[in-house]
Amino acid sequence: MTEEDEIPDDVIATLSDYLDGTLPADERAAVDNKLATDELWKRAHTELMGTRGALSTLKKARAPATFDQDVTATIHKRSAGRFFAQKTFGDRVPFGAVLVVALLALAAIGIVLWSSQTGSLHGNKDAHEHQEHKLVQ
Amino acid sequence: MLDPEMSELERTLLRRLRDRDERAFRELLDLHRDRVFNITYRMLGNRAEAEDVAQEVFITVFKTIDTFREESKFSTWLYRVAVNHCKNRIKYLARRHDRDRDELDETQHGGVGTNGAIGTQPRTAPDRALESAQTEKILEAAIASLEEEQRIVVVLRDVEDLSIEEICEITGLPDGTVKSRLHRARLVLRKKLQRELGHD
Repeated sequence: MTEEDEIPDDVIATLSDYLDGTLPADERAAVDNKLATDELWKRAHTELMGTRGALSTLKKARAPATFDQDVTATIHKRSAGRFFAQKTFGDRVPFGAVLVVALLALAAIGIVLWSSQTGSLHGNKDAHEHQEHKLVQ
Repeated sequence: MLDPEMSELERTLLRRLRDRDERAFRELLDLHRDRVFNITYRMLGNRAEAEDVAQEVFITVFKTIDTFREESKFSTWLYRVAVNHCKNRIKYLARRHDRDRDELDETQHGGVGTNGAIGTQPRTAPDRALESAQTEKILEAAIASLEEEQRIVVVLRDVEDLSIEEICEITGLPDGTVKSRLHRARLVLRKKLQRELGHD
């Protein structure tokens, strides 16, 4: 058995919690005491700190420069443009605006017809007046 | 209940994303792509696979954003998706590895062995100028040699510096399980690094 194997797993587990800050206060105090007096605990603590330190120094891998484009291109490709709003027919058509324009257009047509002498909304005004005239006679 | 830790900015971004706003999606990518990529890379040990999986993560997020109820931080949900994709890819690669081995009758593949991680580059001869890079490689190989479940917690805790609570949320595991996996993983890593780097 090598020296490194002499540290029991439960010591590593306790120190692991200690380093993560998840030990209750009383257990933490007990570990502090162990670290001050026990060489094995001290060594285990140093090793674990070393392991965690080494891991935290690992360079952060960065996504490739084209990552964003690749992702969005894949989405477009797979969905034939359906996923993104501006790419879909339904969302490309501004239905709200179309409705407003349509209502305005209808109102304008209505006004034109109403104000027109020959507009259909007046009906056959002359004929109506003529008929009234005949009845009076 | 909505997560109070989520900022208004993030909520707005998510709202826009639900409305299928491509710009919101790009902003979200900007904010999270490197961290997600780092997780997938550390989990899979291979840049090409990591990139592919990270892409799938964001595509999944985009497709399923309506299912995110904002009961946790967005990043927690995002990392959960990332971890699940990594696990699936590891399984897939392990199956492919077995199939290839059967078909080609190859018995030796470089790197980290049988637990689903992609092989790492063979270590080069010692060279002072490359010491830092070698240390990095040793660390990468050590992480990759961990059992998948241990690797997940180590990457999230010791590489990404997430809290135990967050890891529990991401993995869906109880506190005790996360801790015990973390202990075992650190135990394995400690021994490996001691051997490879000569830590006392």
